[in-house]
Amino acid sequence: MTQANKAENKQTSTSEIFDGEFALTDATLSQLDDEKFSRYAMIGDAMRAKAGGDITIDITASITAALADEPCHDVKGIEEAKTNPKNSNVVSISNWKKPFSQIAIAASVALVAVLGVNTMQQSPVVSDDLPVLQSIPVAGGVAPVSFSSEGTALQSAQQGVRALQQQRIGALVLEHQRQSRMAQALHEVKSEQEQESKDPN
Amino acid sequence: MKQFIFFIIFSFTLVVQASESPSAKQLLQNMATAVHQRNFDASFVVMKEKGMEPYRWLHGLHNGQELELLSLLNGAGLEIVRVDNKVTYFEPQSAPYSIQTNSITGPIPEVLFKDISVLNKGYDFVLGGKGRIAGRPAQLVRLESKDSNKYNYWLWIDTDSSLLLKAAYVNQAGELLEQLQLTHISVSPEPGEQLLELLSKSFPEARKLENNTPPTLNNSNWQIEWLPDGFTLLKADRHKLDLNNELADYYLFSDGLVEFSVFVQRPLAGKRPSGALSSGATTVYVHNSGAFDVSVVGKIPPQTAKSIAESVKRAL
Repeated sequence: MTQANKAENKQTSTSEIFDGEFALTDATLSQLDDEKFSRYAMIGDAMRAKAGGDITIDITASITAALADEPCHDVKGIEEAKTNPKNSNVVSISNWKKPFSQIAIAASVALVAVLGVNTMQQSPVVSDDLPVLQSIPVAGGVAPVSFSSEGTALQSAQQGVRALQQQRIGALVLEHQRQSRMAQALHEVKSEQEQESKDPN
Repeated sequence: MKQFIFFIIFSFTLVVQASESPSAKQLLQNMATAVHQRNFDASFVVMKEKGMEPYRWLHGLHNGQELELLSLLNGAGLEIVRVDNKVTYFEPQSAPYSIQTNSITGPIPEVLFKDISVLNKGYDFVLGGKGRIAGRPAQLVRLESKDSNKYNYWLWIDTDSSLLLKAAYVNQAGELLEQLQLTHISVSPEPGEQLLELLSKSFPEARKLENNTPPTLNNSNWQIEWLPDGFTLLKADRHKLDLNNELADYYLFSDGLVEFSVFVQRPLAGKRPSGALSSGATTVYVHNSGAFDVSVVGKIPPQTAKSIAESVKRAL
């Protein structure tokens, strides 16, 4: 340390104290610049990649001050702009559903397939006097080709029937599901009618 | 005098019994009320012997208006939306449509959200044991069929919130055929944001139900000679099926809890013995009677479906 550096004396000693090159005495501590010391410590931490969430810079005061001067944004306008595309009613919902329609047809087929497989699994549960479609074209579809000792012509004909019947069962299950949705409303209408027809008498 | 004392003792015991615990019917009525009034967000799965379907179920009450959303989460999906008395079904295969009714037809029988007194004729209400379902204390209520032509329906109801926690179709042997189990439920003071979003959307106009004349079997082409007790005809017509465009004479029956459909169609070519298929509680019975095919579909035992299908005769 030379005379020429005297003006920067305080800064240098802070640095030296930080680096541990300077013995800590009352005299040296009085030369310590608090603000600089904490800044050096932070730079050091950052360089050693210790940073993470450890670095805390308190800027709330300055933000609060800045916000006080900010003009109010039109919050309503922003929200409307956001919801507008969703707002567009039924059409948008069905559009949104469109990509799934391919899977849907597959799903209805899968339902039948599941039904078919279930029959095989379930056969012991159903009582003996009730025929189960296990060995039958309906459940078919699942039966390995090698099981059949029949000629191939008969086989392919049967497979055609199987496909038709499977398709039909799929259609029946779907139709039942749809019609059931109306059932409760129909039931209420019917009981109302019964009430009305009883009341006058 | 003696009679009078008897009467007093009798009525006293009635009062004591009533105050001990709510009856099965009372619990079901509480559930129906809770399902219409609470704001909740629930997830449940429907389990069949093989496979399961996960659902999300939201309900809210906003300014006296009921909002409900039920969606099937696997596969192509199915979305059902209810705003008060308008239920709209969004299915991938077809255009969305609405029905004028105050409950969604989903995996839970609708009647349980309504007036259950219509079930008095066909079912007994029995209080079962207590248990723990989805982390909550639950009370079992059993709807026991009065004859063996129908399945029983068991419900486990939350003793705190009165909401449904679990339900199952049970056959006469006591086997659980199809179960519905909540995996999560949260009850909140305000309806969820997802539900409030529904208010800003518009849905298709509700279909009007033709309520002019009640359907009868008198003028129909077919005579259904045997029906399980308690089932009444709700609908009879002839229409083309959506999926394969086949024409069918169609009949819909219900006992208030479950429905079944009867289809009469031209026979398919080839030799096809009659038989049953089932998935969970749903039975499909296909009967080949030579000149025509009869199919019965519904949540009824295979034996019942068989008897119905075989009783269908050509009307003379």
